[in-house]
Amino acid sequence: MAKKYEFDYDLIVIGSGAGGSAAATIAAREGKSVAIVESDAFGGESPNWSDIPTKALLHAANLYDEARHGARFGLRSSTLGYNYPSIRAWKDLAVKRTGAGGNRRYYESQGISTFNNAAHFLSPNEISVNRRHLSASNFLIATGSQCVIPDIQGLDTIKYFTPRTILEAIRPPKSLLIVGGGDTGVEIAQLMAIFGTKVYIAEKSSRLLPHHDSEIGELIERVLSEQKGVTILNHSRVMSVEKDGLGKRAIISRAGTEKSIRIDEVLVATGRAPAVDLGLENAGIKYTAHGIDVNDYLQTNVKHIFAAGDVLGRDSHTHTALLESQVAANNIFGRNKIVPDYTAIPEIIFIHPGIATVGLSEDDCLKRDLPINKAIAPLNIIARSNTSDFRDGFVKIITDKKGIILGAAVVAPHAGEIIHELALAVKYGLSADDVAQTPHAFLSWSEAVRVAASKLV
Amino acid sequence: MNLAVDIVKHGNKNQAERFVRERLHNSIVSACLSVRVPEGQAETIAHAVCDGVITWLRQRPEVTSQDIRTVATRHLKSHHPEAAYLYEQHHMII
Repeated sequence: MAKKYEFDYDLIVIGSGAGGSAAATIAAREGKSVAIVESDAFGGESPNWSDIPTKALLHAANLYDEARHGARFGLRSSTLGYNYPSIRAWKDLAVKRTGAGGNRRYYESQGISTFNNAAHFLSPNEISVNRRHLSASNFLIATGSQCVIPDIQGLDTIKYFTPRTILEAIRPPKSLLIVGGGDTGVEIAQLMAIFGTKVYIAEKSSRLLPHHDSEIGELIERVLSEQKGVTILNHSRVMSVEKDGLGKRAIISRAGTEKSIRIDEVLVATGRAPAVDLGLENAGIKYTAHGIDVNDYLQTNVKHIFAAGDVLGRDSHTHTALLESQVAANNIFGRNKIVPDYTAIPEIIFIHPGIATVGLSEDDCLKRDLPINKAIAPLNIIARSNTSDFRDGFVKIITDKKGIILGAAVVAPHAGEIIHELALAVKYGLSADDVAQTPHAFLSWSEAVRVAASKLV
Repeated sequence: MNLAVDIVKHGNKNQAERFVRERLHNSIVSACLSVRVPEGQAETIAHAVCDGVITWLRQRPEVTSQDIRTVATRHLKSHHPEAAYLYEQHHMII
């Protein structure tokens, strides 16, 4: 009879963010012996340094901004001000209240062993955590991602912000150059602009938010530049940065010409790359700089090692990582393997107006050569737009030739709430007619969804 | 200066030994000399590669010898791809 090897744990989860925590908890509840290893703060990126703190700050910023522009509704707001240390204290409170940030005790109460150090694979069944060797019959890698620092001359000689460190700034800088006009860059641009920072965004592509449909990028560009005074430098590459007195100077190449701007601070928001530097070669796991290779069941080429979340290198969000974590937990211990369903994962950018998308974008359909119909309902044709005096936004719905909804985009206040109706439609293959026939309450922003859907009937 | 990093050797019951910069330096120099890099340049490259590896090791108390080889190769590739290939492929460079 073959010798059965004994391991310290049934499952070791590397990373305690959304990609790891759900799987660890599920496995522990099933009576498995589980360990979770975290190199930074327990809870991972989302509750500690990205989603929660950014959204808490954006909430305060948007309240301030709305109140500041309340004169048109008869509000007196000329004496309105803010105290940034108090706003930061609010952000810290929001982080603390989630219960997910720094929650080592939670895992321990579930019977999960916790280790607060970096994990490094020594062999396919063994990792080293601060010289302590831990072995397991199964592993889940959920190490997430880290900021990509672009190769800009002089960047290593100055102090610059990342999306994580700017949230800890003592006060908003007087001027800020944001390198990268993606989701994070746009969110922070709006946040800082509301607090009075002169913001410049340098984006290599022809518009902001290049991964979304052109209407979205163009609208947000207009909103940021006209209403928030942000200077948007498209087709621009930051060539070099250097210290200039108390501030910094950046040389930007734009359409063949070089332009120099003086700013107080620089924020690098050029995206994130999977955190794969944990000795994966020692375990024989196939990976590239773009992420760990997994099959449909989130299993790596080493059959007892699974991966979930940002480390896969896909366009991942906290809710996607959570889904993958649950799927991985099932596939590690369950007999019936399941595949994560990505068809109706909403994607939200929490600026004002909010941006939310689901399913296929128009560009996705073009790339796949799918024949489609599309309709756009501008916000200014619905009644709520009048009562809120807000007109910048739209609802866009994309259907196939039979009218089945393939994807949608919402740019509107509360877009993150509105999109879920369309996510349901995408997931269950509803037609534009189904949505158009569903009553939508008068004076809700969702009326724009019905209008867009009825244009496709 | 040697770091307090343990190198786990494979095939040796996972026994560990301390990282010694000198040994890494010598192996890089040997790889460079094997592809006819001038001695002075080989020393300079080895110095740069060792610095790169040590920076990588700073956050890691324990790694495998294969990790050292992989990281050293990555750094060596930017200085001399041919030497990096030799370093990666040959387990014993004399």
